Amino acid sequence: MIARGSVFSWALFLFVALCAAAGPARAQETSKQLPVSAPASGSGTRTSASAPASAPAPKAPGDETLRIEGEKRFATNCGRCHQSPHKLPPRMMATAIRHMRVRALITDEDMRLILLYMTQ
Amino acid sequence: LLGLTLLLAFSLRVQAQTEEQTGQSEPISAVPIFTMGTGFITFFPGGTPNLGPLINPEFVVPIGQNFLFETRLDLEADLVPDPNGPGWKGPAEKNVDYVQLDYIANRYLTAVIGRYLLPFGIYNERLYPIFIRNLQTDPLILPIEAGDYGSGTGAQLRGGFSVAPDVELNYATYFSAHSDVTYMGSTREAGGRVGIFLPAERLELGGEFQHLLESDHTNSFGFYGAWQPRPLPLDIRAEYARSEDGSGYWLESAYRLSQVPVWNRAFRHVQAVARMQQFFLGNPNVVSNTGLTANTNQFEFGLNYYFRDDFRFVSSYGRQFSSAGDLNIWTVGFTYRLVLPLWPGGGR
Repeated sequence: MIARGSVFSWALFLFVALCAAAGPARAQETSKQLPVSAPASGSGTRTSASAPASAPAPKAPGDETLRIEGEKRFATNCGRCHQSPHKLPPRMMATAIRHMRVRALITDEDMRLILLYMTQ
Repeated sequence: LLGLTLLLAFSLRVQAQTEEQTGQSEPISAVPIFTMGTGFITFFPGGTPNLGPLINPEFVVPIGQNFLFETRLDLEADLVPDPNGPGWKGPAEKNVDYVQLDYIANRYLTAVIGRYLLPFGIYNERLYPIFIRNLQTDPLILPIEAGDYGSGTGAQLRGGFSVAPDVELNYATYFSAHSDVTYMGSTREAGGRVGIFLPAERLELGGEFQHLLESDHTNSFGFYGAWQPRPLPLDIRAEYARSEDGSGYWLESAYRLSQVPVWNRAFRHVQAVARMQQFFLGNPNVVSNTGLTANTNQFEFGLNYYFRDDFRFVSSYGRQFSSAGDLNIWTVGFTYRLVLPLWPGGGR
């Protein structure tokens, strides 16, 4: 009985893994097309929506590079446990990211870049 | 204590040098926040319905640039049909998961004092919250990881830093004293965990060790791994743990159906999860705190639907095989998480 359960469990795991491997191309395209400032979900629009859309502050190329790097670090680190958590107001996000630095042991550099990305 | 003092003094020196050299400081003033994970999960182990309401309120209070105070409570009930009449009956559990003060000394070291989650493995510390876990049932080896209380009382040194391009090292060492304080019990033990994270591959591998400093002075150890293949919305996680109670492992894969070409607007909210696990009883003279009386295999399959990233419907079906009797385990429920500022202007 135990052997039957084990075989079935492994078969189920392999099935899910094969399903996952079926269509990777579209995810790559989607992630490339996503603007870095796009909110992850409905409630995540609070921060970005509150900024005046008509008068965006000019950004230096270095800022954009850091923000893109921050998005990458966000996906790499936060995505290990969370399903794309939405953005919070900057002062709350500063607390949350400090909490996650302790809890998830993300590096100091990752913390700063993720905070930069999540507060823009 | 002398070593700890010297280490902290060295860390303060490194921190001062770093700030002098880079002029870096946290640019945004952090505010205290209140966050709460909550859910209502109905379990059907062996066909008997168990209602499981759960609330995890949490306070996170930053102090200055380097300190953080955080505490989380665990309030939950396990209600079963009352055999003597209509209604439901069962114990309510209350527990302080952690109440700790963190000092971020520098990029290499964070010191923690107070009551903290035991960093043995990754499930107890990272994946346990109801709004994070993919399946609502606990792994069979969780009692090995978490011990009798899931938390320790004492001090911890931990950190995560880059050791080479695209290689990060993370570690946690701890000492816990014995505590019989109501809702804040702990055992006297010491241990540590170390892991390597490869950001480019999104792969983390690590191991942990723990020595019980009371009772029968036993050792426990384990290994863990987590991998997120970059082109896929797929999480693969696994853990192995061994102690006097026994040994076992779990292997879980969770796939977000965001790549399904048909009905994508609906499917992208769906997550399919599969987990298998095995547990083998240890020393026959030791009463296992896992509650299992025989070698056990268990598989589970779950479907979660994310209405938003913080609100989801969860469901799963599992089958447990053991010589003590086979068992079906169904779960269905909702999980939700909220975050609120506790400071004027914090929400802006």
